[in-house]
Amino acid sequence: MRLSFTSVCLLLGPLSLPAEDAGELFLNQVQPILKRECLGCHGDGQILGNLDLRTREAMLKGGPRGSALAPGNAAASLLYQLLNGRDKLQMPPGKPLPPDAMAAFKAWIDAGAPWPAARSKPWSYQPEDLWAFQPVSKPKPPIATRNPVDAFILEKLSQNGLKPAPPADKRTLIRRATIDLTGLPPTPEEVDAFLKDTSPDAWGRLIERLLASPRYGERWGRHWLDVVRYADSGGYSNDFERPNAWRYRDYVIRSFNHDKPYDRFVREQIAGDEIDPDNPEAILATGFLRSGPWEHTGMSVEAVTRQMFLDDVTSAIGAAFLGLTVGCARCHDHKFDPIPTRDYYRMQAVFAATEFARPSIPFLEDENTAGLASGKARMAEIARRTKSNLDSFDDRVKQYLLKKHGAARLEDLPPETIQNAVREKEGITAEEYEEYKLYQKHMQLYRESLDRFEPKAFAVSSGPLDGFTDGGPNLRYPPLARYKAPEVHILPGGNIQSPAAAVTPGALSIIAGQSRLPAPDIPETVAGRRTALAGWITDPRNPLTARVMVNRIWQYHFGKGLAADASNFGKMGSKPTHPELLDLLASYFMDNGWSVKAMHRLIMLSDAYQRASSHPDIETVIAKDAGNKLLACVSPRRVEAEVLRDAILAVSGELSLESGGPGVFPQINEDVARQPLHRMGSLAPAYHPDATKRLRNRRTIYTFQQRSLVDPMIEVFNGPSLDLSCERREFSTVPTQAFSLFNGQFVHDMALAFAVRLEKEAPDARGRIERAFRLAYGRVPEPREMQLALAHLEKQTRHHRAMPPPARPRKKPVVHTITSELTGEKFEFLQEQDPAEYEENVHPSGVSPQTRALADFALALLNSSEFVYVY
Amino acid sequence: MFINRRRFFSQSTMGLGPVALSYLVSRDQARAGVLAPQKPHHAAKAKHCIFLLMEGGPSHIDTFDPKPKLEQIHMTRFQKERNRFEANMNTGERYYVRSPFEFRRAGRLGIEINSLFQSFSEVVDDVCFYRGLQAESVNHPTALYHLNTGNQFGGDPAAGAWVSYGLGTINQNLPAFVVLPDVAYPQGGAANWSNGYLPAHYQGTPLRPEGAPVLDMAPPPGVTLESQRANLELLNEFNRLHRQRHPHHDELAARMESYELAFRMQAEMPRVLDLSSERPRTLEMYAIGGPDKEAAAFGRRCLLARRLIEAGVRFVQLIAMGWDSHDYIEKAHGARMRAIDQPIAALLKDLKRTGLLEETLVVWAGEFGRSPDNGIRRGGAAWGRDHNAKAMPVWLAGGGVKAGHIAGATDDVGGGAIECIHPIKDFHVTLLHLLGLNDDKLRFPHAGREKQLSQTGGSVIRELLG
Repeated sequence: MRLSFTSVCLLLGPLSLPAEDAGELFLNQVQPILKRECLGCHGDGQILGNLDLRTREAMLKGGPRGSALAPGNAAASLLYQLLNGRDKLQMPPGKPLPPDAMAAFKAWIDAGAPWPAARSKPWSYQPEDLWAFQPVSKPKPPIATRNPVDAFILEKLSQNGLKPAPPADKRTLIRRATIDLTGLPPTPEEVDAFLKDTSPDAWGRLIERLLASPRYGERWGRHWLDVVRYADSGGYSNDFERPNAWRYRDYVIRSFNHDKPYDRFVREQIAGDEIDPDNPEAILATGFLRSGPWEHTGMSVEAVTRQMFLDDVTSAIGAAFLGLTVGCARCHDHKFDPIPTRDYYRMQAVFAATEFARPSIPFLEDENTAGLASGKARMAEIARRTKSNLDSFDDRVKQYLLKKHGAARLEDLPPETIQNAVREKEGITAEEYEEYKLYQKHMQLYRESLDRFEPKAFAVSSGPLDGFTDGGPNLRYPPLARYKAPEVHILPGGNIQSPAAAVTPGALSIIAGQSRLPAPDIPETVAGRRTALAGWITDPRNPLTARVMVNRIWQYHFGKGLAADASNFGKMGSKPTHPELLDLLASYFMDNGWSVKAMHRLIMLSDAYQRASSHPDIETVIAKDAGNKLLACVSPRRVEAEVLRDAILAVSGELSLESGGPGVFPQINEDVARQPLHRMGSLAPAYHPDATKRLRNRRTIYTFQQRSLVDPMIEVFNGPSLDLSCERREFSTVPTQAFSLFNGQFVHDMALAFAVRLEKEAPDARGRIERAFRLAYGRVPEPREMQLALAHLEKQTRHHRAMPPPARPRKKPVVHTITSELTGEKFEFLQEQDPAEYEENVHPSGVSPQTRALADFALALLNSSEFVYVY
Repeated sequence: MFINRRRFFSQSTMGLGPVALSYLVSRDQARAGVLAPQKPHHAAKAKHCIFLLMEGGPSHIDTFDPKPKLEQIHMTRFQKERNRFEANMNTGERYYVRSPFEFRRAGRLGIEINSLFQSFSEVVDDVCFYRGLQAESVNHPTALYHLNTGNQFGGDPAAGAWVSYGLGTINQNLPAFVVLPDVAYPQGGAANWSNGYLPAHYQGTPLRPEGAPVLDMAPPPGVTLESQRANLELLNEFNRLHRQRHPHHDELAARMESYELAFRMQAEMPRVLDLSSERPRTLEMYAIGGPDKEAAAFGRRCLLARRLIEAGVRFVQLIAMGWDSHDYIEKAHGARMRAIDQPIAALLKDLKRTGLLEETLVVWAGEFGRSPDNGIRRGGAAWGRDHNAKAMPVWLAGGGVKAGHIAGATDDVGGGAIECIHPIKDFHVTLLHLLGLNDDKLRFPHAGREKQLSQTGGSVIRELLG
């Protein structure tokens, strides 16, 4: 099936277009530009230069210089030449069209310049393309089973001549469930207890225990942070810290732990400040709206940065809650889904009155405030030292001035002389000036960092709050002169400089047409727009919201959603393999108070979830269902980057299970930590890992998410994009993973800590090896593995006896080179050091050759496939 | 059955599940590796690309596009109104600035270039200067993202990742896409050489000028190669036993192979990076060991670029920082030009000498150009230039490029391009075209649509083709 609708975006290829497409191009792009830019002088009311551009015929006829249009040849067309400014004469005068518009004109003329009167049919669809917009049904299970999920799975299997795999063994099951729900491997004690528990509800009680664990929210909160493009910094030139964003991250974790009804969770994130202004949680929730990358600097254009926010939030809402790529409709009507550009800008108009805010919200009892005082003291000390450096420069300027003017006291000099001299840095060298700028930049960054410890919220408000200034330099919103909800216009081609018709706030028109949910009634007042949109999204009649979320939950349990593209339920997304099951889950979800935990129970108690990852007849499965879409068995999965790091910390006994609070700075690759990073006009301070293990060995979800500096180990194991909503992690296998895991200092340090732990917990080599296997894999070694490990210990002990380790290297100060933006000269600087005393990891020089050999064995375990896969 | 890797990946993300995916990946990898060389879409001379990225926005007016008119209006002041579509920086009281540099004619056509480009003047007949390109942002990170990835807001695959995806690579023991950054990373950081939504194999691997060239390529100090190999043997034994218990989980084979590949890379990379086998004359030609430390450092990276290309790397991107000369352009741009002159000339001559220039596309560009005028800063006039997206200096050389040629033109003060105007996406389409790839065919499904480097399609800039 071919779509009849096209637009400029696909049409800029070298070949000329079919006439039908060119006609669409004319209607969508060319005609609006003609009307806006040309007809004012060449048609409507006046016809300057005797050139009329109102019709194709008039264009062909042209003016005194001949025909304006040579259909099929843009280059030979006077119209195009004038627009291009090649002919000395530039049209429109002094205001050349943007390249996209030029391309549209070129493509249109090259295709013969068709001039259709009106658009042909906008979209044509097969009914199955619109499945996600149909009302959620309550399908009856096709066969009788203990768990309704299995009815749908088994039926599909038998229809395809496949038999389900037998259940997995209990060891596999507890590892699978524990990693699924908490992101950590089960401890040997937990495995033993589960194996011993032969009661029929052992599995159900295991699930309850895991759901009640605070680790659950840390695991599932991370999934949600993927979807909402969460980060602790703003990205771009300065990548300024968002000092209070962590409170949104902890809000997400708490919401999962408390099983906050999903509809409420969604409403709070979209409009918490409007719906429940006295509830601190609801204010913190709105951090969602601002989580995208955003920056406004002296080099930014106000209208552009405002639009950046509006586009980000519109796309984010579409992807996260509705599972639609509404962002595609920014420039043109959605090419595949029935989302006209108009709908996109109507949804955007919901946020037209949304302003950034950083209100004071006292810390909650549930929030971790234990480290705030010490964290603030450390940060303040760093800032104090930097400030005193700055002051010493100012002092020198003043001394210079006194000398220069032969004055005894500064008061004797005109105030503007002092001000100018301080601003111009008279009396200090160019090198010192760069140093001055560096410290100034650092102070700007530290001021934000100090706000981490303050009871403020990274939030929004409808209309101005705090006089629009939202704290730090990155967060200041370009102030609007007089507050009134700004009008939102359709921006053809996404171009802010050529606004088309104004729109009122609204939602996706297709929903009202296909489902039982009427279009929302969104007020045009400053307040209440987001509340209305949130109500529409979470209305049980909305066909997308529940389906999208239950599909995500399914995806995180099975590795793949029933609809494989979790954030694209449109035509181009994969159709659900089990549409009825998806509806069953969605209706169950809503019937059970939108409880996410209820969904875990339903899914995990099914036979489908508990099946083995192998299949007695795997050849038939591969032949008939290569993608394992029908779930005859469970697909093995590599763990995510965060699970890997957390598991390494956990089995080495180094994991700090403290929850919440400002982002922590883990041990990362030393070269990356020492890497100079540009900040507008200067360099960022050096990266300092947190001094205490309590902080730096926290779970990965609590690590500071800096857009310009991602832990390379997380990155290499397919960590999420911090800029775009991540619907599903990639799992590629690349050699740089081996470098990170096998050579990286962090893993070597943890392997040594693991060895020290093993020596404490078991008396002899055999006992230690067994303990290591139980910690890492949840099982005892097989005889062959024991034999290999013992031989390795022996061999490596000999090696380490003969090869004493080098002493612990001294911490080297970080020296960075900066190129002066003004003069291009290069200078070296000693970066500020961390005032905190560093709590060292255990080092090879501090342990025996036996321990080092044990660490070698531990390193192999931490690198092994069994450790990184879940079956 | 031979599996076309490009097709395979695009299918796999359209819905093949983990079982089949792993099954196919391992089979594919077992045959030729994920980065196996691919046939181009059309015949093309260039098989490799060296992208010389001048970070900060080099001035066209002071490098390759002289503007004598500015001599006449030098220091003329004027007021530029601010509106909501203008950045603060470019408005207010301004004055025109002449170029403080001398220009010289070079090559057969007598193309005018800055006379500081002494060595470079000897190779201009191999170069195609392009004056018609326009960027869309005057903000460093967005403009850099745009030039490197086609998307101003980042997150998408870099051009080098697309080329690696399209063509694979020749040496399986080295990454396909290598970046040679300056010591400091540019604004926007590693997202400038990201694989974006393409598989991680196509990510740019930065070879760091300080510290370990590839992160964690060597084990921590004190770990001997012998000890490392012994640990790897134990790991392989554990993994082999594990694989026997999961015979149908084919990702396990690929994972084991990746450790062996890492080990081979660990051995091969230092050989490529070791310049001791080069003749002293060659080192001298690249300014290595010479008195100008910056030229020497940049020369080292230029020579590495040649060695990487020789060793079969597909795409090398060099980054030279520091072209953001808002004030005192004579000093700032002067230092940059002196640093790159000899090394770049050496690179082009060296590539030509070895015959590699025929099959290597060399590109020189910054994220935008600079304005003919400047703001009043620091209390007075410090001759420099602000950002300018309407005109920028670009040149190309090597495989498939029209040598000794100027394409496009800018207005008489260098405020904007007026001829052969093309947006960045056309530049990307042209770059791919020169490497035998068709942007409209080089696509990857992501977030519900088939994405491509140009984002929405573009046209080849024919004027640049030989």
